[in-house]
Amino acid sequence: MTVKECYEALGADYEEVMNRLRKEERVQRFLKKLLDDKTYALLSTSLQTGNMEEAFRAAHTLKGVSQNLSLKNLYVPASCLSDCLKERREYTEEVETLFEKVKEEYIRTTEAIKQL
Amino acid sequence: MKNKITRFLTRSLIFILAVCIVVFGFLAFFMNQRSVQTINKVGVLYMSGMNEQKTKHFETVIDMYLSPLEALAETVSSEDEDKEALRRNLTFRAKEQTFEALAFYFQDGTFDMIYGDPIDSLNPEPFLESLENGTKKVSAGVDSTGNRVILMGIPLTDYTAAGEECIALVAALPIDYISDALFDDEKTSLLYSFVIRRDGSFVIRQFEEFRESYFERVRVLYEREGGKDSEQYIKELQEAMNNRETYSTIFQMDGERRSLYCTSLPYSEWYLVTVMPYGKLNQEVDGLSRLWLEAAIVGCLVILITLFLVFLKYFQLNQQQIQEVAEAKRSAERANEAKSEFLSNMSHDIRTPMNAIVGMTAIASANIDNTKQVENCLKKITLSSRHLLGLINDILDMAKIESGKITLNMERVSLREMVDGIINIVQPQIKKREQQFDVCIHDISTEYVYTDSVRLSQVLLNLLSNAVKFTPQGGSIQVSMYETESPKGKDYIRIHLQVKDTGIGMSEEFQAKIFESFMREDNTRVHKTEGSGLGMAITKYIVDAMDGTIELHSQKGQGTEFNLTFDFENAYEQEEDMMLPEWNMLVVDDDRQLCESAVQSLKAIGIQAEWTLDGESAVNMIAAHHDTHQDYQIILLDWKLPGMDGIETAREIRRQLSEDIPILLISAYDWSEIENEARAAGINGFISKPLFKSTLFYGLRPYADMDTGAAPDGCQIDFNGKRILLAEDNELNWEIAQELLGELGLEIDWAENGKICVEKFKQSPVHFYNAILMDIRMPEMNGYEATDRIRAMERPDADIPVIAMTADAFTADIQKCLEHGMNAHVAKPIDMREVTRLLGKYLTKNL
Repeated sequence: MTVKECYEALGADYEEVMNRLRKEERVQRFLKKLLDDKTYALLSTSLQTGNMEEAFRAAHTLKGVSQNLSLKNLYVPASCLSDCLKERREYTEEVETLFEKVKEEYIRTTEAIKQL
Repeated sequence: MKNKITRFLTRSLIFILAVCIVVFGFLAFFMNQRSVQTINKVGVLYMSGMNEQKTKHFETVIDMYLSPLEALAETVSSEDEDKEALRRNLTFRAKEQTFEALAFYFQDGTFDMIYGDPIDSLNPEPFLESLENGTKKVSAGVDSTGNRVILMGIPLTDYTAAGEECIALVAALPIDYISDALFDDEKTSLLYSFVIRRDGSFVIRQFEEFRESYFERVRVLYEREGGKDSEQYIKELQEAMNNRETYSTIFQMDGERRSLYCTSLPYSEWYLVTVMPYGKLNQEVDGLSRLWLEAAIVGCLVILITLFLVFLKYFQLNQQQIQEVAEAKRSAERANEAKSEFLSNMSHDIRTPMNAIVGMTAIASANIDNTKQVENCLKKITLSSRHLLGLINDILDMAKIESGKITLNMERVSLREMVDGIINIVQPQIKKREQQFDVCIHDISTEYVYTDSVRLSQVLLNLLSNAVKFTPQGGSIQVSMYETESPKGKDYIRIHLQVKDTGIGMSEEFQAKIFESFMREDNTRVHKTEGSGLGMAITKYIVDAMDGTIELHSQKGQGTEFNLTFDFENAYEQEEDMMLPEWNMLVVDDDRQLCESAVQSLKAIGIQAEWTLDGESAVNMIAAHHDTHQDYQIILLDWKLPGMDGIETAREIRRQLSEDIPILLISAYDWSEIENEARAAGINGFISKPLFKSTLFYGLRPYADMDTGAAPDGCQIDFNGKRILLAEDNELNWEIAQELLGELGLEIDWAENGKICVEKFKQSPVHFYNAILMDIRMPEMNGYEATDRIRAMERPDADIPVIAMTADAFTADIQKCLEHGMNAHVAKPIDMREVTRLLGKYLTKNL
């Protein structure tokens, strides 16, 4: 599976990422790095332990990372979660649903990257 | 009310007048009485004194004659034989004493004349009796010629002459002697006196008083006084005389009040009566009373006039107050009426969309399976809800304004963005009503100002939506905006806004009260138009709060024109390099002013431009330039042009020239509707009016990128050897940044969080780093705090450029970055062009 195919499968913006990073090889390298990135794990544990401040920051970072790689599919729910937590650092039902969505997309994304 | 007060005041005045007259009248009368009484008393006192004095005087005068007579009498003794010698002796001595005659008086009442005229007593009995008893006596008598004389008798104890018992020696004096002595002083005095006997006959009288008896005189002349008639008075007088008591009375005689005082005189049966006519005194007293009366009347008048004036003033004040109260009442009633009318209008207006919502909901639930109908219902419900919300918002705004709670939230505002936003909002309505719409912006050099964009938009939206509402289909609406110098100073600019329509206009009466709350022209034409009637009041209030002015020109059936002016503080756009390549451009628009101002704006961003007013000439100009190999790089075409419109012109250009010159459409209308047709005609893009400098810059920039895409600008800048500190907590993000920035030849140090960033900067030599790229959300220490700390350091390079990087692109976040002393802000994901541009700007500046 090529990077382009991967992006298309995920519903992410291939053109944009190429526009920014210019080389497919580089995009692939960064995508692989995403697998080692601890942000998602931090978000997950923070929410479980109720550290909402940390959770907000993690969501924000995840939003930044996915945006950097133009992973729109992950960026959108991460951004929603980040905004939600920005307004109120509370564990609400909304946060839970949003996190579920983030989780789903994160898993989908990492699965796709692994196939590269 | 007014009548009541007038009546009350008149009555009070009359009552006070009456009281005044009674009091002063009584005082005058009483005082008059008192003064008459006092005068009487004084008169009586005076006269008793006078009488006493006169009596004393009489006694002295009588004594003066009696004493020598007594001495004479002592020389007469029975032993003296020589009667002739005695008589001679007596005669001689008596004459010395100026006695008129001298005689011996005998027991039988006969006189033996020693010398002088024979005399006779007028009232012999009492005279004789007293002398017999050995008492001196004075009495009246007559001489032989009938002249009245005074007889003085001194009793002789033991003298007999001519055989018969001689009892006394009697001398006669002319009555004048006595009367002169007695009454000499009365010629100059007020009062006069006379002497009478007990029967009222006169002994001594003054003046030519007729009648022999005083009583007779009284009977004739007496006038009633104090309830006594003359007889009564005579009786009283006689009684008093009989008892030898003093008597005083006041009576009226000869048309004149007189006071009378009577005392008995010694040595005689006579009585001294002193009469004082009040004539002169009365005049004085009357004068005094008159004076009193006059004073009373004047006093009374003064008080009355004062009172009248006071009442008048009070009345006037009262009237004024009543009028004011009435005025206040009227205005309160008016306001109340307006409010009630507003309420009834409002409840009608609220009920209409409410009915729609309720009705549509019912229809929708009845046809729950019919998706199409439900959808339709929901659409209508949405519309009605929106309308309802608008109404409620208006009411809330008005309530805020009326309670003075509305405040302006001043912020840096882009006039371009604001006008763009408003036009976007009203466009659908205008399109729906098929109205001509035109936006004219000229000579606007200042884009950023400080104002409350929400409220300013509200004003413009309100005017525009009114224009749309009250302009029939096919009418035209025009918004123009231009800038002049502000009288408030060079940091201010004056923005003139005009909203003009060809709608139904307003009546003069309505124009006068358009800015009042709850006003809506009461007219069937307008009745079906919805609205709270608060819009214009809110508009006016906001304009006032912004120190702006709003003027209205309207004519029924002709249209309406609102002119607004505001003085805004210039927010001086940050001089970012709004520069584009030196293109040659052509602007085509039928509005000459728009063309000129667009060319001016283009010049400001580095573009040479020409303009023309219609499509045909544009095509010719483009062809001419093409022939000389000086093609325009970009062409701006207005959509609505006279004759050939923008799309046709574009088509023509494309037909003639195969060169791929970008053609952009400019219009105040929404682009989406004509996009397909335009694209097909070979139009590359769209720029919305109004044409601000920034509109043009941002609209044209993509073509600059396209043009120079092969060799990215910025890259020309040599970043070799420049060191940058990058604060970023996420490793992946850091690696991407490092990779991309590394390509530019920059050396990049990584700080995992704000704290490390501050540490690293602190330990670096001065000017080691050329810039810091700062993420905002980091663990340990966020970007804001890190920047604060860096700025607070005492290093010559504490002002190092700090560029914020964050995924938050909200204006509030950007504002916060700038507040914390950061120089610029780039949004994530990192746009290399933007970063390069910014770094270029700050790093070259730093050199």
